[in-house]
Amino acid sequence: MRPVRRALRDRTDSTGASIAQNSEPLRDDASRPSYLAQIPRRGVNVKPFRVSLLTILATGGCAGQQSVLDPAGRDAEVLATLFWWMLGGAVVLWILMNGILFYVSRAKEREFSRRTAELFIIGGGIVFPTVVLAVLLSYALSEMPRQRDLGSGLTVRVVGESWWWRVEYLPDGWDTPIVSANELRLPTGSRSEIKLAANGVIHSLWIPALGGKTDMIPGRETRMSLEPETPGDYRGQCTEFCGESHALMAFGAVVMEPEAFADWLDKQAQEAAPPTGTESIRGREVFAAEGCGGCHTVRGTPADGLVGPDLTHLADRRTLAAGVLPMTEAAMIDWLRDPEAIKPGVHMPAYGHLDDADLSALATYLLGLT
Amino acid sequence: MTRIEDKPDDPPPYRHRSIWHMIAAPVVWSLHFAGVYAWTALSCARFGGPDEARLGIALATAAALALIVVIGWRAWKQWDFLDDYDDVHDAPTTEHRREFLGHAGWLLSIISAIGVLFVAAPAFYIGSCL
Repeated sequence: MRPVRRALRDRTDSTGASIAQNSEPLRDDASRPSYLAQIPRRGVNVKPFRVSLLTILATGGCAGQQSVLDPAGRDAEVLATLFWWMLGGAVVLWILMNGILFYVSRAKEREFSRRTAELFIIGGGIVFPTVVLAVLLSYALSEMPRQRDLGSGLTVRVVGESWWWRVEYLPDGWDTPIVSANELRLPTGSRSEIKLAANGVIHSLWIPALGGKTDMIPGRETRMSLEPETPGDYRGQCTEFCGESHALMAFGAVVMEPEAFADWLDKQAQEAAPPTGTESIRGREVFAAEGCGGCHTVRGTPADGLVGPDLTHLADRRTLAAGVLPMTEAAMIDWLRDPEAIKPGVHMPAYGHLDDADLSALATYLLGLT
Repeated sequence: MTRIEDKPDDPPPYRHRSIWHMIAAPVVWSLHFAGVYAWTALSCARFGGPDEARLGIALATAAALALIVVIGWRAWKQWDFLDDYDDVHDAPTTEHRREFLGHAGWLLSIISAIGVLFVAAPAFYIGSCL
């Protein structure tokens, strides 16, 4: 055996064994937090990938917060119904066609008259599919206008950025939008109008549990409307390739009862609560000294940057870094220290030059912005 | 080497040996498709709204179907099926070439008519330009 090949074999053996024994990852970064497991890495770890692929194939997509088959809104329900009808029809047709094939070629071999064959071809090959497709098309088309109905009451403007979401709420009668980011909250019981735009490159907004997707195109405004029905936490995802961190451009979608939503929105409209503890106050000083306000807005403070996400009520969101990290102090510190490691290509610079105390204070301040 | 080749005194009309005539119906279908999309975009963006779009789609569909009926009828005559009930055209002769092209053109007319109707179907349902 040639040395290179033997080295390859040994490497495979040892990694395979180590995975089986103690689930150690291939690369020696034991310090890597568990929540980063969902972040793609440069080294490809085949075995966990295969296992997760099997899991996804077996169970994924059937339920959960990002599934078209687990609808939580009227629009998604229609799409799911259409999908099940088409799947059922496809299964029936498949069994029918293969049954006929089996019947004529194995079960009962005999000659058919030319007339029978022609009737079968014309009836089964032209008339039947035309009728079936016409019915399916009519049903789907009859649903399309309702998917694009005008919203009533709430209008939300979502702008796709690289790689996060700028979100502006405009309730009926308001003229100043309430700015947020990376989370879309909608009330049940009404149809919300969602206006979409993109900054620089294309994106597409999709919350599978709530409805279909709509592209976001630089220089023009597209729209969609959603009618959520079941309160809960869902997840949206960018579905149009938009650059390095396209796969890491997600967001939380939260559906709330109308009263709870109104209360939440009132709170969002308020300015940021001033920090209380000493650690938090020191964090605000770090925030100011590092010039964070050049890119981020914290309403009620001098920070009024518009480049990055609005942070006024940052800690109220379920996720950090656009659906990628949990809203915890450890994740926040990791993000501040090296955003590029979590989201390749991100525009936010790293603050790894800060010492642990400063980073911790900064995280405390940010997590106090509820 | 023998080869069946009939040499008629008068060459057959161009239509009887042209593949362009065979695909005339799908061409009408494609023009209808492009026209309907362009018209709908224009009427929604520049003037009027869904009613103008719907009217234009109706007119374009009627015109396309009429054209396809004419093309299909001519293809049917060219196939000449009822004359000899011949639906196998595998010889390199003028007659078989004519019949093959007519047969194919006729079938393509049928699918083009279905295609045009399916393309026009959304006009029944659109309530707005949104």
